[in-house]
Amino acid sequence: MGRFILGRMVAVIPVLLLVTAGIFFLIHLTPGDPIDAMMAESVDAGVKAELSRQLGLDQPIHVQYLRWMGRLLRGDLGRSIRNGQPVVEDVARRLRPSLELALLAMLIALLVAFPLGMLSAARRNTAADGASTAFALLGICMPNFLVALLLIFLFGVTLRWLPVSGYTDPLEDPVNGLRSLTLPAITLGLALAAVLTRTLRSSLIEALSEDYVRTARAKGLSERVILGRHALKNGLIPVATVMGLQLGGLIGGAVITEYVFALPGVGRLVVDAVFARDYPLVQGVVLLIAVGFILSSLAVDLVYAWLDPRIRYR
Amino acid sequence: MSVGGVGKPSGLGLGVPGTSRRSFLRWCAAASGALTPVVAGGLRGSPEALAQTAPKRGGTLRVAFYIEAATMDPHLSGSKIDRQVYHNLYDPLLVLDVRLGLQPGLAESWTQPDPKTLVFKLQRGVKFHDGTDFNAEVAKFNFNRMKTDPKSVRKGETANIESVDVVDSHTIRLNLRRPDASLLAALTDRAGMMVSPKVVQERGPDLERNARGAGTGPFEFVEWVKDDHILLKRNDNYWNKQAGPYLDQIRYRPIPDDTVKLASLQSGEIEVMDYVQPRDVAAVKADKKVAVVDVPSLASFGYQLNHAKAPFNNKALRQAMVYALDIEQVVKGVWLAVGVPSNGPIPPSSWAYDSSIPAVRRDLAKVKAKLAEGGQPNGFTFSVTINNIPINVQEAEVIQAQLAEAGITMKIKLVDSAALLSDGNNKNFEMISYQWSGRPDPDGNTFQFFKTAQGISLNWSGISNPRIDALLDRSREVSDRAERKKIFSELTRLLHEELPMVFIVHPIEPKAFSPRVQGYEPIPDGMMRFKSVWLK
Repeated sequence: MGRFILGRMVAVIPVLLLVTAGIFFLIHLTPGDPIDAMMAESVDAGVKAELSRQLGLDQPIHVQYLRWMGRLLRGDLGRSIRNGQPVVEDVARRLRPSLELALLAMLIALLVAFPLGMLSAARRNTAADGASTAFALLGICMPNFLVALLLIFLFGVTLRWLPVSGYTDPLEDPVNGLRSLTLPAITLGLALAAVLTRTLRSSLIEALSEDYVRTARAKGLSERVILGRHALKNGLIPVATVMGLQLGGLIGGAVITEYVFALPGVGRLVVDAVFARDYPLVQGVVLLIAVGFILSSLAVDLVYAWLDPRIRYR
Repeated sequence: MSVGGVGKPSGLGLGVPGTSRRSFLRWCAAASGALTPVVAGGLRGSPEALAQTAPKRGGTLRVAFYIEAATMDPHLSGSKIDRQVYHNLYDPLLVLDVRLGLQPGLAESWTQPDPKTLVFKLQRGVKFHDGTDFNAEVAKFNFNRMKTDPKSVRKGETANIESVDVVDSHTIRLNLRRPDASLLAALTDRAGMMVSPKVVQERGPDLERNARGAGTGPFEFVEWVKDDHILLKRNDNYWNKQAGPYLDQIRYRPIPDDTVKLASLQSGEIEVMDYVQPRDVAAVKADKKVAVVDVPSLASFGYQLNHAKAPFNNKALRQAMVYALDIEQVVKGVWLAVGVPSNGPIPPSSWAYDSSIPAVRRDLAKVKAKLAEGGQPNGFTFSVTINNIPINVQEAEVIQAQLAEAGITMKIKLVDSAALLSDGNNKNFEMISYQWSGRPDPDGNTFQFFKTAQGISLNWSGISNPRIDALLDRSREVSDRAERKKIFSELTRLLHEELPMVFIVHPIEPKAFSPRVQGYEPIPDGMMRFKSVWLK
């Protein structure tokens, strides 16, 4: 197992090289300039030239790339152009809300998907299955921001049960923190729940048609035990795959939800940085998200091995 | 109104004598409450007109803007949102009143012994939030910082200040390179804001994030939790205790989405919203739970035309394109009358506005004539570069349809704002959207756009016209407002001829408040000053 993990780490290096080169050249070659963006209405040729020089932006692009890679290898992600703060600090500060949101969304998704998925698989082609399929379709098709706005108007403005926007850290203030994350987590969780429900349903149906299930039924085991103890474990592998992919996406990709709910997360950070052409910040965040994806896919592979003893890596 | 002369400024030039500050402020409040707007929108349900009870101390005012502030250092700031916070945290030398008149701020009075010299008598007994004194040495330090700090973006505004002399402990003399009648108005904003030298020296670049102790304003900086909020608290030792400050705290939050911002106001999570989108205005005005104030802004929105490239290097074609536009339709249909059709760079809220100059009227016959004159009798094609914001896109589409009716084809190139700024600065466009937030002096809406400029500047069109240059220079040399107004009128007529810019709309900035908010004075620069505000 140790050798497997080591091997995966080594294989990651060319991927990361590609990612760094890709994001660097992509953002630098996009029209637009961080200093123009920063100075906006107060444009001044002299100040611009001076700032360009200070930030190394007057160098040819390949020189800038090599400089950045050099610093990267020493563990230095550089400083944001807009506020001069180290990129690592900005990301660390914004990572927590994103992680909390992602985990809460996954929790909600699992809490909804498991019962619904199992119900659907057990009562295939009945009204219950139809209802759960309809819910899944709705969840997958409804745009993120629409769900968000509907939830805000219902729970925030009309009922006033939950805050409309803003973030409170649940680790500092659990009650208000969870309240501030509830609507965003439901927004993200619903879409994820829809996908997970369908995935679980189909993998459970497949598992339920296996021979060993027929044997178990013949032996007189109750449906609940068959479903919950035997079929479920086998049905979980595709679900684990989907969750792994989604988790990586949730952390960096919940941009729209973060915008609508004004959450200070990583998704909004990187989009704002792109709009401001804040090169070091964009590069740093994208790199960290890439690393996050890689780690989460490694975690998923390890979860496979735990779920299914037949899967072993050599 | 004359800027020169000795003694206290008469402010409004309406024959109001230099009375005490208290009665003047009462006059202002009454005037702003009774102000009949020149513009289409009106002051509706303005809180100060409704306030009959006496101001109460206390409470936290929660304000939402669409983005976060960029920096707390007024000398290094380029963003409009920063200014909103600064006007409560810092004091400028001069302040604006609702008629865009110049009033004493940290400068108690000023004189102009000759066109190239300005002498300011500074207020006494003013302390920064860190306890240090404000005096002439401090003012000199601030001006030098603006002129010499490598990251200062105030260099353009202070370019005409050659040097600053300390005459005595509370008097400074500004020696100008050239006469500049617009300088006093520039000192009502960031270029006139005073920062504590002790904080600058001790904290250095950290001032950008932590402004504790740095200002003299009615509110003090408490904290800035990045991406979450900026908190200010009342300055109980504020040097000017007339009419406030009353609020205990002000809390600024960024809420990027307009719909959510409005929902926050309606659900009572915030008390103040800085801007209501035109599409929401009618609904918000009908909502009894919210009070809307239409603030006539200083802004000028339009497009710059590239004079160095085809097709707009050809004057006849520029004129052809402009005659094909129906600006009234654009303002009614796209801006939903939350704004006035523009007749030039100077907004109706300005003393220099000339209502006798009409906005461009559509005239398809003239279009044909000008097309022929320009050698393109069958029309021509060009592209417009615009910012990818819904209302801008709608406006461009309407204009596209209007031009198509006249035989001119306009292609739309959508970019984001960073790319727009770069395209503009590098003159990489044929026609490009330009939305200027406006300045209190007409010079701020004209000089840097239309004066011949080398290198990077806001003169994106590249216009270089000796008559325009002469008018702009003269507008700075003359200090009498009536005369300057004549000069700007002549300039505007010339701009309609030469067309470095197409002027579309002078927008109104509708601001929305919880009905608990009282005492708000809508100054046309759109900056929200909360000193006189209190919560019911």
